[in-house]
Amino acid sequence: MSNTLLQAIAESNQWWAIGPEMILGCAALGLLVLEIFLPKEQHRHIPVVSILAQIAVLVGVVVNFDTVWKGEYLFGGLILLSDVGQIARVFFLLSSLLVSFLALVCLPRTRMPRVEFHHLVLVVTAAMMLLAQSNHFVMFFVALETVTIGFYILVSYFRDSPLSLEAGLKYLVLGALSSAIMLFGIVLLYGAAGKVTLDGVVHTGFEYPVIADFLRQNPDSFLGLAGALLVLGGVAFKIGAFPFQVWIPDVYQGAPTPVTAFLAVSSKGAGFAVLLVLVLEVFAPLEGVLVPVLSFLAAATILCGNLSALTQRNAKRLMGMSGVSHAGYLLLGVVAAFSVPWAADAVWFYLFTYLLASMAVFGVMAYLAGADDADQELDHYDRLARNRPFLGAVLAIGVGSLAGIPPLAGFMGKLLLFIAAFQAHLYWLLAVAVGGVVVSIFYYFGWIKAAFFETWSPAAGGEAPAGRPVPPAPSWAGAATLAALALATVLLGFYQEPLTSWLMK
Amino acid sequence: MNVGLDHYLIISALLFALGFFGVLLRKNTLVVYMCLELMLIASTLALVAFSRFNGTLDGSVFVFFILTIAAAEVAVGLAIIVALFRKRHTVQLEELNALKH
Repeated sequence: MSNTLLQAIAESNQWWAIGPEMILGCAALGLLVLEIFLPKEQHRHIPVVSILAQIAVLVGVVVNFDTVWKGEYLFGGLILLSDVGQIARVFFLLSSLLVSFLALVCLPRTRMPRVEFHHLVLVVTAAMMLLAQSNHFVMFFVALETVTIGFYILVSYFRDSPLSLEAGLKYLVLGALSSAIMLFGIVLLYGAAGKVTLDGVVHTGFEYPVIADFLRQNPDSFLGLAGALLVLGGVAFKIGAFPFQVWIPDVYQGAPTPVTAFLAVSSKGAGFAVLLVLVLEVFAPLEGVLVPVLSFLAAATILCGNLSALTQRNAKRLMGMSGVSHAGYLLLGVVAAFSVPWAADAVWFYLFTYLLASMAVFGVMAYLAGADDADQELDHYDRLARNRPFLGAVLAIGVGSLAGIPPLAGFMGKLLLFIAAFQAHLYWLLAVAVGGVVVSIFYYFGWIKAAFFETWSPAAGGEAPAGRPVPPAPSWAGAATLAALALATVLLGFYQEPLTSWLMK
Repeated sequence: MNVGLDHYLIISALLFALGFFGVLLRKNTLVVYMCLELMLIASTLALVAFSRFNGTLDGSVFVFFILTIAAAEVAVGLAIIVALFRKRHTVQLEELNALKH
């Protein structure tokens, strides 16, 4: 009996199923080995190796999109491969590729080591990909902590800058707090679900299906409800939802620009990938409690993000607070997904448009940043459109898409989410979201105005104020990347068909 | 007196609350850090108690994962605190407020 059980578990260890994560992990180690063995003058090629490895894995995932293990519980129930998991893999790989590109732009300006940065980006991405496919709370917690601890290091990466270190400390304290809250929730769920004996195999309360079964049979269990709410509290921290958004502006400002982009896109994407699985599958029986709670969170997040973004003059803080409001719109989609199943796909569509637009904006920010990475005021964008028309155009497309200006992809993303919310009869929430979009146009337009229209400044004492140096022109690779992002943002606004049909497959 | 599951859970919840309010209220970074560890330990205690009373070993195994993760977190966290202390010569949270708009 126990022999057949062990055999079944051994057969479920399909290492090729997590090939992309393993290749990323090996590549991460390979980068460090290369640094030891290559002569110093060739170290600048190591980041290129990292980017090539990511492109190879991305191509591999896209080609093998329909894996043979789809829908199977692997590694004794730790991992469940699914379509959503494959979409998440593509999302994280795209995002990490663009983060590596931003790092190529930003890191040479400092004296910081570069190879370790790319190493950490690969490790964190691999952990996120595992996180999106986990089917077991031990796997979930270990993958999540790998991501979080990697981010502690990345946020405080510029260790000669007090601002970066301070941001790292703030992220550390609040991140560890949210992890501890989440862990307590996992423990309560484990205790509540207890042990279940099905078909001669003992299942414990760490596995998602077991917890879902338990909650379906005991929807009034206090331990189960408390555990679910604590776990969701931890996830809310990752996506920066109200009331866990306090860390966002400080950490986004202090972190190096590539890391800010990584936090804004990948970390938020990982949070929503996890949230969709948890809310729609594991905690679905608690719908009666979750829908009001999540609706309130969505409304508060949209209002809080948009209103506090109004007063920001620092570009990174502005991206942070506007990112909070995007998390609010996405939460709206998550709430709608309870009654309208395709809303989950709309959330993924929105995440992809957010990835393209944010990375375009962060790319421009990376080129504009001076020696002090935390000091990126909106005033620095003065005359950008005249000095560097290309960067100005990319910025306008990116910011316009974030704001949801009609022909761009961000508009379609918002439209899909709002239609889903309308079909789910969330009228008051929809009103809050539309109000939030209107408010957001004000601060997004302020940014475009700073770049495109020259501000008239009273010349004090007849002297022109010392202008900032003209930002460097992007290299051809950088220009091609930015142009591709902007082009994809425009094209997705007109033809959503390829992406939506792929997401809804 | 019989010590049951509830006693363990109450102790664990008390420890967790102590840690939680310590993180929110204490001003010294190192003390805050100890409170964070206290929260993890509280979860661990509840986990072991549940594991014992449910009769499954998975909970006890998870404890080792938690300990490993906590060790990694401490290693990274103390490094950040030391680097910050070298730059700013303070670990008091109310003095670490350079990041304001």
